[in-house]
Amino acid sequence: MTGAGAVLEAFADYVDGESAVVHRVALRLSPDRLTIALPDGTAFDWMADELREVPDQADSAGLVLAPAGDMLHRLHVGTGEIARLIRLNAPALRRRPPVENKGKIAAWAAGAIASVSLIIFVLVPVMANQLALLLPPAGERALGDATFEQVRTALGDADFLPVELCETPEGLAALTKMEARLDVGPDLPYPVTVAVLDHDLVNAFALPGGRVILFRGLIEAAENPEEVAAILAHEIGHVVNRDPTRDALRLAGSIGVLGLIFGDFAGGTVMLLLANQLINAKYSQAAEIGADDYAHAVLTEAGLPPAALGTFFERLRAEHGDEAGWAAHFSTHPRMVERVDAALEAQARAEAAGGAAVPALSASEWRDLRSICGPNSASEQGAAGRVGRQ
Amino acid sequence: MALRDLTTDYAGRGTPMFRLALKTGVLTVLTLGFYRFWMKTRMRRYYWSAIRPGGQPLEFTGRPTEMLTGFLTAVVVLAFYIGLVNLILMFLSFSLFGGDAPAYLLSFLGLVPMIFFAQYRARRYILARTRWRGIRFGLEPGVKGYVWRASLWWIVTILSAGILWPVKTFELEKYRTDRTWYGDQRFEQTGGRWSLMGAMKHVYIAAALIGAGSAAAALLEQPIWFVATAMGAAWAPLGLAHWKAESFKRLTEGKRLGEAGFRCRPRGGRIVAIYLLGGLAIAGLLIALLFALGMGIGILLSVFDPELIAQGFDDLASLAALPAWVATMAGLTAYFAAFLFWGVLREVFITMPVARHLAESTEIVNPDALNAIRQRPRDEFAEAEGFADALPLGDGI
Ligand SMILES: [Zn+2]
Repeated sequence: MTGAGAVLEAFADYVDGESAVVHRVALRLSPDRLTIALPDGTAFDWMADELREVPDQADSAGLVLAPAGDMLHRLHVGTGEIARLIRLNAPALRRRPPVENKGKIAAWAAGAIASVSLIIFVLVPVMANQLALLLPPAGERALGDATFEQVRTALGDADFLPVELCETPEGLAALTKMEARLDVGPDLPYPVTVAVLDHDLVNAFALPGGRVILFRGLIEAAENPEEVAAILAHEIGHVVNRDPTRDALRLAGSIGVLGLIFGDFAGGTVMLLLANQLINAKYSQAAEIGADDYAHAVLTEAGLPPAALGTFFERLRAEHGDEAGWAAHFSTHPRMVERVDAALEAQARAEAAGGAAVPALSASEWRDLRSICGPNSASEQGAAGRVGRQ
Repeated sequence: MALRDLTTDYAGRGTPMFRLALKTGVLTVLTLGFYRFWMKTRMRRYYWSAIRPGGQPLEFTGRPTEMLTGFLTAVVVLAFYIGLVNLILMFLSFSLFGGDAPAYLLSFLGLVPMIFFAQYRARRYILARTRWRGIRFGLEPGVKGYVWRASLWWIVTILSAGILWPVKTFELEKYRTDRTWYGDQRFEQTGGRWSLMGAMKHVYIAAALIGAGSAAAALLEQPIWFVATAMGAAWAPLGLAHWKAESFKRLTEGKRLGEAGFRCRPRGGRIVAIYLLGGLAIAGLLIALLFALGMGIGILLSVFDPELIAQGFDDLASLAALPAWVATMAGLTAYFAAFLFWGVLREVFITMPVARHLAESTEIVNPDALNAIRQRPRDEFAEAEGFADALPLGDGI
């Protein structure tokens, strides 16, 4: 058997990178070098440690060789003993050339990150804030309707059907009564539309154009109708302040940019992110305080206890900790304690002013509201659904 | 002495292609898409080296880092457009029309010239990084002329309800080919503007059958005419395969490289067979994969909740026994696995066999004219194919 120390001769195809002529050359493999003899009699050496293999070749038995650092010369060695011996003899056959222009790549990367950050975190939010105030009411409603359907589809479970809307007549009547009690009509250019979705997340959110969505999980987690009314008032506060409209416009600007960066290796993920972002809308601290203030005022006006907002947050925090499993919209807020205090202060002011203490709903209306998703839905789904979430 | 015509060997094999596509695909998913420049480069090296006219493999010499830099360049430009222009369009669309469709339409129309721009630049990059017998290919600068010609011919194609598609294909291919070089020798596309019309004939027949059948059924209220529609629908894929093979043949045989030329004998039937059998193989393997994933989830379930097996697995609600993070991970894995395997199997069962057939049926006529060709200078092309990468151009190689 021919070992790595022996000398072997063979033929191969050689191109010089100057003309398109393919030279049939004689190869002579010695332990430390490969001698290439051209048909015209001239010969030259490629040293064994400078031999490089052109990678990812389809013809895996043969070899395409180039000397290190040389862009143009190529030697096509066919299948056979010579290819095997070159593989044995050349120690750095698979070493890759050093990466060139590292500085330039880093500069471009920094530039791209800076400009994309500027667009996503500064330009798009600033413009979205301005445009949200200019959007006519009909446009806002259309934007809300479009996003509502996306959210329902995204929340749909394994069967890919949109999440069910909850609308037993009695439950809807109770909900309507609660909305009427809050009486926010004059603050908005369009009516508020409240919908309950049959999903056990403890959450609520607002969409552009006066759409407020409560999840069944939130109604079940509330201890009394005043707490639901307080959450409703808080969400309507976001609507009055145009927070969801800002958010939706900002997303319209930034989602496309994100899709651009991550490429289309998984088309669906961007849509999932979008829906997730809408549900777990993280407004600024100022926006949350603004919505709370609005809620306190509306609740006081309606003769309902503003403290209910505080007690609801407080209890959920005590039960679930600050974990993001519940009500991401509320829980990610860093200054929960301050908000609870603000609610209690508002309560003190309301009591000092002598607010009437009529309950938000009667006991039977409260029962109706709690079964708005159908008589059995709460117990059935509660047992089978999301054990992991609780 | 005239040499024999050069036939083309094809060295690509299913197993190595599967391994390469799977490995690079997994890395791309794991790096949130950033490995894709390395994936594209490696896949191209493989596909290029598989094609061996006269036994000499093509070589793709592009580098992933230059594709990354080009992509970053494109991101800076496009992020501005996509972020701000889309936001304003969305706003105007909802303000004026109460819906988002006009915004999407305008946004897309704004991107169309950019897509043509990206196509030509990508072609320039790919040719500049392709070598055969040590000699570089190249495409002259000329993107402006391409963008307006492409816009024009697309409008003509749309206005003619697609009938003039072959004319558009020929005109754009001629523009590109006439600016393509192999070393110091320029290519030339011969054949007239109308030369591809005949290649489309079976598609026209299929479209006529579908249109006439539906119209007759609707007007005469005789459902029997839908038989014609059904025949047209069956004819259409065959017609498309014929178009693919025949237009490739006519365009390739119309190309001249100095004294050298090409002969090409692709068969539409072969293309149909590849799509049909390849599609069946992909469907079968994907179903097997989903079954295996289902088994995997079943095993996970039995680990977390052994009683479930005893009770029987009756509906999807039983999945709730899994902890949330396990369910999420299983879902993500299944999603990406299906996505990934679809891409990998498509390379193995469709793209590569089609490339093999087209390569093996092509010959170079009068190849001794090639020996006079000299090298051309390197096209330092900083932006690589960044725009084509960032825009949704599909995965055309
Ligand atoms: Zn809020």
